[in-house]
Amino acid sequence: MGAAIQTKDLGKRYGSFWALENCSITVPEGSVSALVGPNGAGKSTLLKLLTGLSNASSGDSQVLGKAPAQHEEFLADIGYLAQEIPLYKSLNAADHIAMGKHLNKHWEDSFINQRLRELNIPLDRPIGKLSGGQRAQVALNLALAKKPKLLMLDEPVAALDPLARHDFLSSLAQAVADGGLTVVMSSHLLADLERVSDHVIVLASGKTQLCDDIEHVLKEHRLLVGPREHSKTLGDGVNVIHETHSARQSTLLVRLEKSAKVPSHWQKHEPNIEEIILAYMGQAKEGGSR
Amino acid sequence: MNWFVWRQHRKQFIAFGILLALFATLLIPTGINYWHQYQHALTTCAQNPNTPSCSDLTSSLFTSSADGFLRIAVVLGTFGLPILLGLFIGSPLIAKEYEEGTNKLAWTQSVSRRKWLTTKLLWALGFALLYGIALAILVSWWSRTLNAFASNRFVQGHFETQGLMPIAYSLFFTAIGFMTGAWFRKTLLSFAITFGVFVVCMTSFANWIRPQYMTPVTVTSQIGPGAIDTKIPDGAWILKRGDLVNKSGKEVSFDLPNFPAECQKLTQDIRVPNGGHIAKLKVSGIDPVDDCLNRYGFHQVAKYQPSYRYWDFQEIESGIYLGLTAITVAATYWLVLKRDA
Repeated sequence: MGAAIQTKDLGKRYGSFWALENCSITVPEGSVSALVGPNGAGKSTLLKLLTGLSNASSGDSQVLGKAPAQHEEFLADIGYLAQEIPLYKSLNAADHIAMGKHLNKHWEDSFINQRLRELNIPLDRPIGKLSGGQRAQVALNLALAKKPKLLMLDEPVAALDPLARHDFLSSLAQAVADGGLTVVMSSHLLADLERVSDHVIVLASGKTQLCDDIEHVLKEHRLLVGPREHSKTLGDGVNVIHETHSARQSTLLVRLEKSAKVPSHWQKHEPNIEEIILAYMGQAKEGGSR
Repeated sequence: MNWFVWRQHRKQFIAFGILLALFATLLIPTGINYWHQYQHALTTCAQNPNTPSCSDLTSSLFTSSADGFLRIAVVLGTFGLPILLGLFIGSPLIAKEYEEGTNKLAWTQSVSRRKWLTTKLLWALGFALLYGIALAILVSWWSRTLNAFASNRFVQGHFETQGLMPIAYSLFFTAIGFMTGAWFRKTLLSFAITFGVFVVCMTSFANWIRPQYMTPVTVTSQIGPGAIDTKIPDGAWILKRGDLVNKSGKEVSFDLPNFPAECQKLTQDIRVPNGGHIAKLKVSGIDPVDDCLNRYGFHQVAKYQPSYRYWDFQEIESGIYLGLTAITVAATYWLVLKRDA
């Protein structure tokens, strides 16, 4: 499987502030990647660099084998949904569909008309008068109707109520099931991401903390619980990501290398992906404040 | 892309079309009426040259308050429509997309950002061009009657409303609107700046820049009431009148300290006894002093732009605005293509 996205030391600087620094990630073709991280971690910045909306300050990126650009050959294969779900408020959904038809080489007109009809979204009402969930659906299906090979979504469900969020993710899952689509989606809602994604990228403090297959991540990480006095005695190949201590007991989230042997006085548990992501975000935060 | 620009902005284009149509319904009947009244007066005066009103048509024709309002309306409309284009077509063209984030939607369709921008700018500038041409033809045609009465056609209110200028303004203010919109990404801020540029342009060009396009013609005459006026042809734009040139050819103002001692003394001798001010001399041009100055070799001087330079001035000033428009458009490309979304 090739890489839909490959970046090397990608960075974006605003003035003297690096919004994203040394970001090296690989997103396999056909994967659904969750892009997670605290606010200001550089998620939106990364997505804008990958869509060619912003220019990188340093490093390289290859998206579908091309450097992101403002050209139509590049843009034809990507779909993007910005955080604020921008649509033309005074135009209606039918106008947006016509826009997509006029501005794209590939355009699935019957697909989007059918989808929006199934979702009971009125095509003739101005976008400004639709609900948040309906707007998000229009925007998602606009992005899908251009038949992108790569779809990048920036916190699309953040402003949606639980039902609209569920419907949105169902639409997305359906599009993924149809095949040929790689998705990168950023979100704060870890539980939602776990439902739809098979790959995870953790960004924190402008840097990549983790970028891997979720199955592999789960296999590599363990939660170790043991007496506090033993917290320094770990075997080789055991990397502590995050630790918490109570008076007597230590809880460590660790990444195990293949050769690693954990001393037997530790109880080993299998953490879920949410715990692992939180550990990485916590590690970056402590690192940043030290 | 063309379809989409039209779909997005058609309300503005149609609204401006309606405004122009309204303006035309004011100008066309009154323009015809004025022309007929003027021709009628000319024929009458040719047949009966002794009719009292014929000695000075300027003060007898088109002097009602309705005529005054009409003139103001025409000037306001011709100044106003180009700046309105800048404010309502130019400013929101790009700024609104940034404001609402829709630029990110547009720039991730399969159209290059350059093509998107080019199409939008061509529509805005194309519309401004046609609009300016229509406005220029309409107002120049309407003004043909009053031009016959105008003392000169270079001054503010005359020069700007006719010929090439409405076209140049329409293009320039539209371009300033979209450039400041692309720069600041705020429609309201772009609005304010575009209007500010309009005010600065309107005051600075008429007062300080326009007089300097070509070296003015300088004429001199003997000193005496009205003597210099006979040297200035009709329709000329008088930039300076009444200063003195002394014997050595140096220009000095018509003020007492610049007079030779003898003439200075003379003005004191004839000073009005009951406290009248010496400045009255300028107006009344009392002979002994004039005479004295003439004897000392002083001349009066006037500088003017002759009326035959009107079209040169139109070409120069509209050329300046077109050049500024080109720079503004280039800046817009830079601002949109080089900066991040």
